[in-house]
Amino acid sequence: MIKFSNVSLIYPQSTKTILEDLSCEIEEGEMVLVMGHTGSGKSSLLRLINGLVPHHTGGILAGDITVDGISTRAVKPGALAHLVGIVGQNPVNGFVTDIVEEELAFGMEALNFPADVMRKRVEEVLDLLSLNAIRDRSISTLSGGEQQRVAIAAALVMHPKVLVLDEPTSALDPIAAEEVLSVLHRLVHDLSVTVIIAEHRLERVIQFVDRIILIEGDGETSIGSADEILQRADLVPPIIRLARALNLSEIGLSVREVRRLTTDLRENVVAHPEQHNSLNKNVIEVDSLALAYNKKEALKKVSTQVQAGEIVALMGRNGAGKSSLLETIVGVSGPDSGSVLVNGVDPATLRGRDRRTAIGYVPQEPSDLLYLQSVKQECESADKENEIALGATFEFLNRLVPNISENTHPHDLSEGQRLALVLSIVLSSNPKVLVLDEPTRGLDYQAKALFSLALKEFAQKFNSPVLLATHDVELVAELADRVIFLAEGEIVADGRTLEVLLSSPAFAPQVAKVMSPQPWLTVDDVISALDVK
Amino acid sequence: MKRPLHPLTLWIWALLTAIGVVSLDSTRVALIFMGVAVLLVKVRADGSPWNATFSWSLRIAIFIITIRAIVGVLIGVPIPGTELFRIPILELPSWMPGIRIGGAVTAERLSSSLHEGIIIAAMIVLFGAASALTSPHKLLRVLPFFIYEVGITLVIAASVFPQLVQSLKRIRKAQRLRGIEKIGLRTLALPLLEEALSRSLQLAESMDSRGYGVSRKRSRYRPSPWSKRDSVVAIISIVASGFMVAQ
Repeated sequence: MIKFSNVSLIYPQSTKTILEDLSCEIEEGEMVLVMGHTGSGKSSLLRLINGLVPHHTGGILAGDITVDGISTRAVKPGALAHLVGIVGQNPVNGFVTDIVEEELAFGMEALNFPADVMRKRVEEVLDLLSLNAIRDRSISTLSGGEQQRVAIAAALVMHPKVLVLDEPTSALDPIAAEEVLSVLHRLVHDLSVTVIIAEHRLERVIQFVDRIILIEGDGETSIGSADEILQRADLVPPIIRLARALNLSEIGLSVREVRRLTTDLRENVVAHPEQHNSLNKNVIEVDSLALAYNKKEALKKVSTQVQAGEIVALMGRNGAGKSSLLETIVGVSGPDSGSVLVNGVDPATLRGRDRRTAIGYVPQEPSDLLYLQSVKQECESADKENEIALGATFEFLNRLVPNISENTHPHDLSEGQRLALVLSIVLSSNPKVLVLDEPTRGLDYQAKALFSLALKEFAQKFNSPVLLATHDVELVAELADRVIFLAEGEIVADGRTLEVLLSSPAFAPQVAKVMSPQPWLTVDDVISALDVK
Repeated sequence: MKRPLHPLTLWIWALLTAIGVVSLDSTRVALIFMGVAVLLVKVRADGSPWNATFSWSLRIAIFIITIRAIVGVLIGVPIPGTELFRIPILELPSWMPGIRIGGAVTAERLSSSLHEGIIIAAMIVLFGAASALTSPHKLLRVLPFFIYEVGITLVIAASVFPQLVQSLKRIRKAQRLRGIEKIGLRTLALPLLEEALSRSLQLAESMDSRGYGVSRKRSRYRPSPWSKRDSVVAIISIVASGFMVAQ
């Protein structure tokens, strides 16, 4: 279906080779995962398939790519529209119209399909992706999961033979992600659509894919079955790390397989030692907080405390009120009723420097905080603002992610590097509380590990609390002491990470699923429990 | 769901009524039609994002009436009649005869200014109602192809604007939390421009990979047929407008 012959790709004004001499063939009805570090060129590879690279982005391409016999060199991306459906990383930015149904029809109208064909196909695809209930809703009012499904539907309605998706689940909560992936699975199996997908959260997709293309980052690529590639890759999901740590003879890709391999382990081990948190002083106190937007209640009488040195994860569906709670705690939106105190002060009254030293906040889009021309300038401005030694911020950044050139423009950094830069800047004011809104979107496993380490260190060293909203169960398992689970603006669960995560199958991390009923969340938990034994 | 009218129907209604209101030149009729427009939007609003534009046309209408009244009181030709109050006259050089700033304010002068303001406001409200109830996407569909191509570009440009406002709010919020209280051109413009640019590129990529502009002819999903109801609305509008013009 898709044939890469000796493909090499390099962008002008860049010394890095993205791809070198890639040759492979992808069959009809195959599901292929593209993996690699952040910024290694996964998106470029995906966009080569319909010719967006190099037609749209520039770049020097050698070799040839053909889709169903048509060379992408010879035609523009539009001429492949009936053959390749592509769903970008951020579907919201790709929507052209404002109503679901019109969005679905847009591509067919452009290709001058007759009206009756369009009607039939729209109905089909509405059923296939269960979008019928929202067919005449305005797209901007839909949730993240629904928007993602609309984007997939808009691609599918053209009956493409190839569907290309760039991180389709990165903004979704675990349940919405599962929904999207099961749709893809069905497409591959029922309709023989060829699916090419790039994804960082391998634990979500790995059990569905047939083959993996691994981009090493220096132009090298390797292609093989999931087993082959994961045996030796350095970015692997928790279950593979578990298999490696336990020295299992083979690796399993799904929870079921690994459970079979570890039956005896689960049976012969004593329970996890209890960790008791000493009682600490409350730093953040939230008391019967209520907040409403346009008559819709975002928070209903929420009360909770966060103690010094505690790392608390805020979880829940898209739209459950996580961001609203965080924003009230950092003091950008005032509550309708109830109160928030951070170290005894109402955060909404703080201004300028006082705010910066009271609360450090890393927004959902870290780049919102960056506006200077180079990493060096950003760091120095942070030094000056907070009257600390010149170079201290950069030094901290360098410890977090070594080898950043200080003359790089902040927007040329990879996602992980940019987050590290923003974190260094925020921490340079030495805040008493750190609050983060979905910090790990688009990070690979290594960047995530570094990031969790930095947060843990911060919490321990200064005995300060960290509060983060996230969909990433694996991150929560590694990092958080406590989990607060929100639904419809109410706290439905609040307790130690272990208890909260284990009580719901959808939010349980992979290791916990494998090791159930033993109460272990991470690979380290398992190893330390085995060592005790 | 409400049975849709042809996208052009409400525009025809607004245009004909506007002609009638202008030629009849009666405050009372203008006010009545403004009321009709408000009622119409209330009844026919279908929850699409364009409905929200109507409240803006109301605001603009009120703004125009106010400004017209103030300007009418301050500047202009004196109209004799019952004097309400008197404000000091500003002396103007002799080469500007016939114009006066300040002076006696009569009830006649005030009401004639208000009257003009209300007629203009009625136009705004009528067309505001038509545009709030007809998505521009739908309107564009019934227009000839060459207008469509230009039009869709305009609609996309227009839809980028609310997104920009949202990004602006978000960026401002984040920066306040970093302790940047001053609104600087550089601190805001750079992140904003970058986001706007990358968004438009993504949109262009999306449109291109979905085949936009590949075929010379473009078909229409769910063509909007001209129904009996549309004819009824159009005929009533023509008769009403004709009656008002003839008066």
